[in-house]
Amino acid sequence: MKVTAQPSADTLTLLLDGELDASSAIVLDTELAKPDILNYRKVLVDCAKLSYISSAGLGVFISHLQRFQDANVKLIFFNMQEKVFNVFEILGLDALMTIVPSATEAEAA
Amino acid sequence: MKTRRAGALVFFLVLSVPKRLLSLLLPFSLLSWVLLLLSALSHSGAGPWLGNWPEWTTQLTQAAFVLGVFLYYRYQPSPLEGQAFVPLLRRLLLGPGLLALGCVALHLVERLAKDEPVFSNNSVFFTSIYTLNLGLFVIFLARTNYAWRALVLFRSTSHLQREWTAFEVALGATLLFRLLGVNPPNYIGIPLVVLLGLYGIYLSGHQKWVAYLSQRDKWNAVLLQAALLFGVLIFVQYFRITQVDPQLIAPQPQYAFLLLTAFFSAFYALMGLLVTFFNMPIADIIDQRRNEILRLQRLTQIIQRGQTSAEVYNILLESAVQTVQAEAAWLDLDPGHAGVDASEATFYYNLQPEQANSLRELLKGHELPEGEFITNDLNVRPGFTGLPQAFRSLLQLPLRGLHYNYGMLHLLKVEPHTFDREDLNILQTFTSQAVLSIENLELVRTSLENQRTQEELKIASQVQDSLIPKNLPTDNWFEISSHSLAAKEVGGDFYDFLHLPGRRLAVIIGDVSGKGVTAAFHMAQMKGIFHALMQENPLAKNERDKFPVPSRFMAQANTALSHCLERSSFITSSLYIIDYEQGGFVFARAGHCHTLYYHALREEVFYFESTGLGLGIIRNETYEKHIKNQFYDYSPGDVMVIYTDGIVEARGAGGAEYGEDRLKLRLEESYFQDAESIKSFILNDLNGFTHGYPIHDDQTLLVIKFKSAQPPLLA
Repeated sequence: MKVTAQPSADTLTLLLDGELDASSAIVLDTELAKPDILNYRKVLVDCAKLSYISSAGLGVFISHLQRFQDANVKLIFFNMQEKVFNVFEILGLDALMTIVPSATEAEAA
Repeated sequence: MKTRRAGALVFFLVLSVPKRLLSLLLPFSLLSWVLLLLSALSHSGAGPWLGNWPEWTTQLTQAAFVLGVFLYYRYQPSPLEGQAFVPLLRRLLLGPGLLALGCVALHLVERLAKDEPVFSNNSVFFTSIYTLNLGLFVIFLARTNYAWRALVLFRSTSHLQREWTAFEVALGATLLFRLLGVNPPNYIGIPLVVLLGLYGIYLSGHQKWVAYLSQRDKWNAVLLQAALLFGVLIFVQYFRITQVDPQLIAPQPQYAFLLLTAFFSAFYALMGLLVTFFNMPIADIIDQRRNEILRLQRLTQIIQRGQTSAEVYNILLESAVQTVQAEAAWLDLDPGHAGVDASEATFYYNLQPEQANSLRELLKGHELPEGEFITNDLNVRPGFTGLPQAFRSLLQLPLRGLHYNYGMLHLLKVEPHTFDREDLNILQTFTSQAVLSIENLELVRTSLENQRTQEELKIASQVQDSLIPKNLPTDNWFEISSHSLAAKEVGGDFYDFLHLPGRRLAVIIGDVSGKGVTAAFHMAQMKGIFHALMQENPLAKNERDKFPVPSRFMAQANTALSHCLERSSFITSSLYIIDYEQGGFVFARAGHCHTLYYHALREEVFYFESTGLGLGIIRNETYEKHIKNQFYDYSPGDVMVIYTDGIVEARGAGGAEYGEDRLKLRLEESYFQDAESIKSFILNDLNGFTHGYPIHDDQTLLVIKFKSAQPPLLA
């Protein structure tokens, strides 16, 4: 699992590459827990190369959800593979998080 | 030429004497000696009864006797036992040495004391004594020779053993030449003998055993070897005098052989004596090294016996003090790492704690380096002179472990300039060994603790097992079959049943995110919440409101869990309340896997598509907006398959997931069977799919089959 952060003016894009399981969740959590992440207006998560997400991986997003909302930072997922989207959907997270098909919509959001 | 070859052959055959002939060597030698005596006497005119034996009989019996004695000792067990060098020398000198010397000395004294010897003026008597002395000398030489063999070959290579055998063969050849009457001219014979003598000198250079003598033994060895040397010289003197004695009519002895063996015996003793003598000045160092090795061995042995840390530190301190002969020492340990209590973190040798304290304070003031350090001039450093014992040399050495220092060793001496780098090197070996043993003990302790944890996990597993219902509810309108398997000792999956009044049944299934002990705790909590919330509400206005509907239950469970679930954890769950009287069920899905369903009337298998958020994701009252009830009417023959994601996300070859589609296919193939058979059918397929791959997640599978209240009447 590789997490690449690409900051631009008011947007931080996180590229997730590989399987997000209990061990790699720590890497992502470190990235999301950085205090200056709340200075961005939007955090876009590019899931094009995210092939699997475990409950621990979901837990990382869930644990930071409230913090992002409170700081008025939008958390937007895009380019999500169907299999990964299913996991979000079954858990009911699709109703709670912004998941859009592509980068264009993500940037527009 | 022929005879010589034959002789050489005989000689080699003799060297490899078969074992059963060995016992004959002693009587053979004795017989040879008696014949030698008789032969010699016949020449000395003992009497007509003996006749006049030909000259070669003396030669032959003499050679046979020498050969017999030497071979006898050759095949005796090695006289050297372990490293008992001094007892070997003592036995040699006090045994045959003293006996032979005594006889020879008596004879010499008797012949030298007066111009006219009283007893041995008689030719017969003289010859007898002479032959006896010759016999004793040969025995003495043989014993010495083979004692030296044991010393030469001590810790030797096979190469040296071959060289020794060559020496024996060469010596034997001289014996044979004389016997066969081969008498090479002096210009060949003398160089040959000299050459053999040089070979003996070369062999005498092998004196490894001297290094293993202790200081005391060395003096003993020097004295014993000097005595042996003296003995050989007396013999040589004896034969030199008696050789020219007019009384001696007997033929001359085997000079080349006896000369060479006597020379070798004497020279080896001389070399040994010199080596031992000149070894003495460095014996101290050798002794010291040996003691260091012994102490190191002791430390190592203590590790193997697995004693306590305190004992290891004590041995370390003691060994260090003895090795460098320190007058005082103390060892400070770091209680955090060294495996000792804070109250036992200091060890003293010949030093009061107050003295150590004042020294510590002084050292602190001087800001000594943290690592190894020697100072040999404490006396010129101000502040140190006022100590109760004016130590002038200090050596300090940390106990370095893999990750941290265990403590610091301090050694003190009164004399200045007494510690050197060499001391430090040796002590480092000691401290490394001690640290190794401490780490070893720590490993043993950790592994014991792990074992205990494993035991406790086993108990936890048993406790959790008791939380899973063993007796499935039974009634004539449904069948239930269940399966659960944890990926680790304890898991986060759970399911439970509860009979409600009015032929209703509550079924709950859930999955706590994560695995292991944490998940197991929340699983137990969830079970508690289920039983607490599914209580009859006496204030309810109508019968149906006495128990919470699934969505209400989820909302309440979410609130309850908000207080105890860590932020990144969540629980997915589905609750079904099946009502037989109504022929339907109501359920709510809180982020849990979709329910798989077989509809008997429509003959169709499908997943219930419903929305619902997992528990613990939103931790406020808005949660209720994200959970919905779904009502469904069932008909007899319908099958409901409830499971956790451990089933559909189980991995097979190439990391492929089992998947919802495959599960659905299996139900399409098996819906007509009873609940137990459907479950087995699915599990068999799942196990075939995952065969040989580890289980990543807990697996739970429930199969509920609805039936008509009465078994259908047979037509």
